[in-house]
Amino acid sequence: MGEFALEVENLVKVYASRGKAPIRAVDGMSFRVPRGIIFGLLGPNGAGKSSLLRMLSTLTRPTEGTAKILGYDVVKKPIEVRKRISSVIQATAVELFLSVKDNLLTYARFQGLDKAVAARRADALIEEFQLGPEVDRKVQDLSGGFRRRVQVAKVFMVDTPVLFLDEFSTGMDPILKRQVMNLLRTEVEKGRTIILTTQVLSEAEELCDDILIINRGKQIARGDLNTLKQLSRGVYDITLAFDRLPDTIQAEIAALTPIRFTVEGNTIELTLKIEEHRVMDVVSALSRNRHVLRVEVRGASLEDIFVELTTREGKVVT
Amino acid sequence: MSAISAVVYREAKIRATNFTFIFWDLFFPLLYMLVFGVGINTALGAPTGLGNVNYNEFFLAGILAMASFAIASNTSWSFFLDRDNGIFYEMLTYPMSRSEYLLGKVIFNVLISIGQAALTLVVGRLVLGIRVQWTKLPLLLTAMAIGTAGWFFFYAIFALRVRRNDLFNSITSVFYFVFMFASSMFYPLEPLPAWFRTAALLNPITWEIDWLRYTSIGIGNFHSILLEGTAFLVFSLACFAYAVRCLQQQE
Repeated sequence: MGEFALEVENLVKVYASRGKAPIRAVDGMSFRVPRGIIFGLLGPNGAGKSSLLRMLSTLTRPTEGTAKILGYDVVKKPIEVRKRISSVIQATAVELFLSVKDNLLTYARFQGLDKAVAARRADALIEEFQLGPEVDRKVQDLSGGFRRRVQVAKVFMVDTPVLFLDEFSTGMDPILKRQVMNLLRTEVEKGRTIILTTQVLSEAEELCDDILIINRGKQIARGDLNTLKQLSRGVYDITLAFDRLPDTIQAEIAALTPIRFTVEGNTIELTLKIEEHRVMDVVSALSRNRHVLRVEVRGASLEDIFVELTTREGKVVT
Repeated sequence: MSAISAVVYREAKIRATNFTFIFWDLFFPLLYMLVFGVGINTALGAPTGLGNVNYNEFFLAGILAMASFAIASNTSWSFFLDRDNGIFYEMLTYPMSRSEYLLGKVIFNVLISIGQAALTLVVGRLVLGIRVQWTKLPLLLTAMAIGTAGWFFFYAIFALRVRRNDLFNSITSVFYFVFMFASSMFYPLEPLPAWFRTAALLNPITWEIDWLRYTSIGIGNFHSILLEGTAFLVFSLACFAYAVRCLQQQE
């Protein structure tokens, strides 16, 4: 077994269709992921996250380059790879004609799990995912949210060392999402490696030990949250809540050329790339002669870094 | 082997817990035999040139072939359902090869078609008095197994290559019409025009029906049946190889 959970070398995926220009969904990525961590793949829509996951989970073959899961090449040893992975794909994937419990048990059967162990785990997961009242209903009769629960619950039936989650929290309510996030942490403590993609950056911020930001099929930044924040040194989030939104405030903020800017009620939030010593000058200029109820200045969030990096087309930093 | 048994288990769970699947797989061909077959037999009598064989007996092999054809068609349509609800792609990440996946599906369908054949033979004997040659039963069941597998692999190619459900449904409807009517399923070929006979003799379902007719009521020449059986086997293997290739190209 390899030293790394995941090794990717010059990986390329080109989708070619008749009469259309070929699309390089993944364009020469190389990286390694150590075992026992949560690794986040972030990027805007169409960045190549799902294409990358599809290659890593043996669903599709790379056009060029190599990828290994625990030392096993995804093209040369796909069965060995599949024995060691579980996947939550982006689309909802459930057996519509089977009951909730049969979904779990059928999945376990494919993964070669002992019957008694499968039954025990299924019962525990049904409770954990609050599927009790629906347990004998066919999944086709359940709502989208419940279907997603069943899909995500399945990967906890087994102990495969690598887990792929493609936007796992889509359609989940906040309480369940929190529970699943806790479960994921527990799984990592047991030694599993989790590779996840998400559009919810706060989720990545909270969960991921290591993050790779990609855009247009290329990697543009890599590191833990602190490392990434270093990349965005000088980026600040400023929040100002007024008793009444000043008429000219939008024009004043536009003049500052913010990275992001939102107005909600009487509160403005803006993200600026600015020298440290000028931050308070900006705050004081915006609040001068106005009744300010709340002021907040924070360092960059992952979202700020993400927006800045994916819009400026930066170079890889690790 | 455990991967194949898991696929069989999954198929069985889905089919056994759904009444519509049970109806289409097991009982619909029986209705064809009891309604259409009896109607033609009563109205038109025995077909010409086949001695004392009545239409019910003649049509038995057609019913069996129709069942294997329909079971294969229904299962290949399930590729669409699986693809629509995402489980198809998830399953491709399970610890099994693409050929194990296809084999598991086909083994289950073969079991269903053998069950259906047994039911048809018993009902045909008890209700319609069809004189079945029970000594050839193993050969008949082999024909059913190979027939179902061959048609499943054939349909799987289209189910995997065609992305739109409406297009696939159109293709299967055309196939249903062309394959079944341009064959020896509903009528003997001898009185038909030469071009029709040629088309029917090139049709793999004719090969299957002739094999089934020989093994069920003893009509036909052993050597030509052997040739047709071999041809159908080659057809099935070629379809299997191409279906696996199509499955490997799924993205």
